[in-house]
Amino acid sequence: MLVVLGLSHHSSPVSVRERFAFAEARVPAALQSLRDSGIADEAVILSTCNRVEIYAVTQLEPPQAFAALRDFLVNCHDYRDPLTDEIYAWGEPQSVHHLFKVASGLDSMVLGETEILGQLKKAYDLALKTGHTGGRLNKAFQRAFNVAKHIRTETNIQRGSVSVGSVAVELAEKIFSRLSDRDVMIIGAGDTSEKTARALISRGARSILVTNRSHDKAVALASELGGRAVPFENWADEFANLDIIISSTSAPHYILDRVKLEPLMKLRRNRPLLLIDIAVPRDIEPEVNFLADVYLYNMDDLQTIADDYLKQRKQEVARCEQIIREKAEAVLGHPDRRESGVGVRPAFGHE
Amino acid sequence: MLAVVVYGVSMIYSVFLWRNGFRRDNHVTYLLLLLAFGFHTTAMLLRGFRLDHCPVSNLYEATLFAMWTIVAMYVVIGLWSRLRFLGAFASPGLFAVGVFALMPGLDATHGVRPELPVVWTSLHAALMSLSYGAFGLSSVAALMYLTQERNLKFHKLQAIFSLMPPIQRLEAAVGRLLIAGFILLTIGLGLGVVDLAHINNPHSYRGDPKIVWSAVVWLLYLGLVIMRWRFAQGGRRFALSAIGSFVFVLLTFWGTNVLSPLHNP
Repeated sequence: MLVVLGLSHHSSPVSVRERFAFAEARVPAALQSLRDSGIADEAVILSTCNRVEIYAVTQLEPPQAFAALRDFLVNCHDYRDPLTDEIYAWGEPQSVHHLFKVASGLDSMVLGETEILGQLKKAYDLALKTGHTGGRLNKAFQRAFNVAKHIRTETNIQRGSVSVGSVAVELAEKIFSRLSDRDVMIIGAGDTSEKTARALISRGARSILVTNRSHDKAVALASELGGRAVPFENWADEFANLDIIISSTSAPHYILDRVKLEPLMKLRRNRPLLLIDIAVPRDIEPEVNFLADVYLYNMDDLQTIADDYLKQRKQEVARCEQIIREKAEAVLGHPDRRESGVGVRPAFGHE
Repeated sequence: MLAVVVYGVSMIYSVFLWRNGFRRDNHVTYLLLLLAFGFHTTAMLLRGFRLDHCPVSNLYEATLFAMWTIVAMYVVIGLWSRLRFLGAFASPGLFAVGVFALMPGLDATHGVRPELPVVWTSLHAALMSLSYGAFGLSSVAALMYLTQERNLKFHKLQAIFSLMPPIQRLEAAVGRLLIAGFILLTIGLGLGVVDLAHINNPHSYRGDPKIVWSAVVWLLYLGLVIMRWRFAQGGRRFALSAIGSFVFVLLTFWGTNVLSPLHNP
């Protein structure tokens, strides 16, 4: 029987999860110990910042298997504090459903994200290379990867951006033909603007300029991003060459208004300009959006788009779960034919 | 007739795409227009073989030829998936013009000027129709640009959820189609001048409404081309100018053609 036991962002805070995390180098030894103890014939350990899970094929009855795996996990990390519902466990068919959900990003903190699939593949590859998987787990994981691919192509669960940074990138891609010849300026060395700039760089933005009231901070961030720092008093001098401006200063007033922008736009010869104002209070006067070729988005606008994408993704969950049920049945056989194996309840809480 | 019916079906599907915020891949419109293009091409070939020259000798034929060039260009441009939505914007216009062309009276038989070389006349008419096709498609791209630009400007979610191309690419498409149309128009008018030289007393046609109109259209598009390439004009104003110019062509083409003694011997 395939079982899964672990803890995730649904069941426990990061302060608990971090204490159960496996460093990658420790995983082969932990898998070996799990098999040597007779708890599992095959096993995979998935350890990410949002979850620690053991997938195991065991000969034990589910209650004994869950208890043994729980003890293994606790002892492995020498965890002595009391546990209530932090650890969950599933037997078949829920364990297979769960694996498919995890692979498809349906169980992730950011619904539908794809990073988890890479992490799951890595965890499986490690177990495979060290000889801790067999026919059951190989089949279940290969099928999980196929299900994730199927869900990605057949549904909208992974469509759109659900973070402010990636929404900004998506907006830029709706305006500019290519990002590879775009110049970006960050005004104010804030965390969100840095993330947004990184997202733009990852999509190929040509150059990054950083300006900040504290020039040292600008220099530090510019060197981190591979860009160039510009003194705060001189940022407008660079204006004619810029395509995207991300502003996040803590100034109590507008640093860019219509009166200032209007003459600068004439230097640009009708090239579009994307302004992303993620400062609160706002850095850019909303009136500038009425200028031709200017596209201004503030924090609320970006958040609305991200929320709407998330809403769309949530609407897709039912479709995804239906696909998962069908695919899990194909792996396990029809539910009626495996009645004896189904009646397993989570032993320690639930997600 | 069959082609116009399929343009109509494509138009209905375009309304559905529009309401859906252009979120779906647009291969259905492409396939419908490809089917219509097949019918359209067959009809024009049959007519061309029957008349033994390019079917552009009356209003009906000229209108259908201009429509055909629009669809032919779309069939090529639509190979790029992001530009396939041009079809959704073009379908209503194609259907409307197609219905207009089918109206009785447009397919009148004109006498042929025996003094004119058939090849040059056919080439002149074909190039003129091709240029109107390019201008038509350019105005469709401009309409797409205005839709997407407005959605982006007013933060409509449709702007980001739709599968339409970036506005900068649409703006480039408007400019390139205008240039292509202008080159075709210039060559077509040049051939018209060559044709005119074969007519007895060509100066008597100096004030012909179609000649005056053609000069106005050429100047209009020359102005747009200069705006674009000399002064880097783009954005809403340029898109509106492209649409406005084509609407002018569309509304005055038939009238000047009917009033022209040169084109109605």
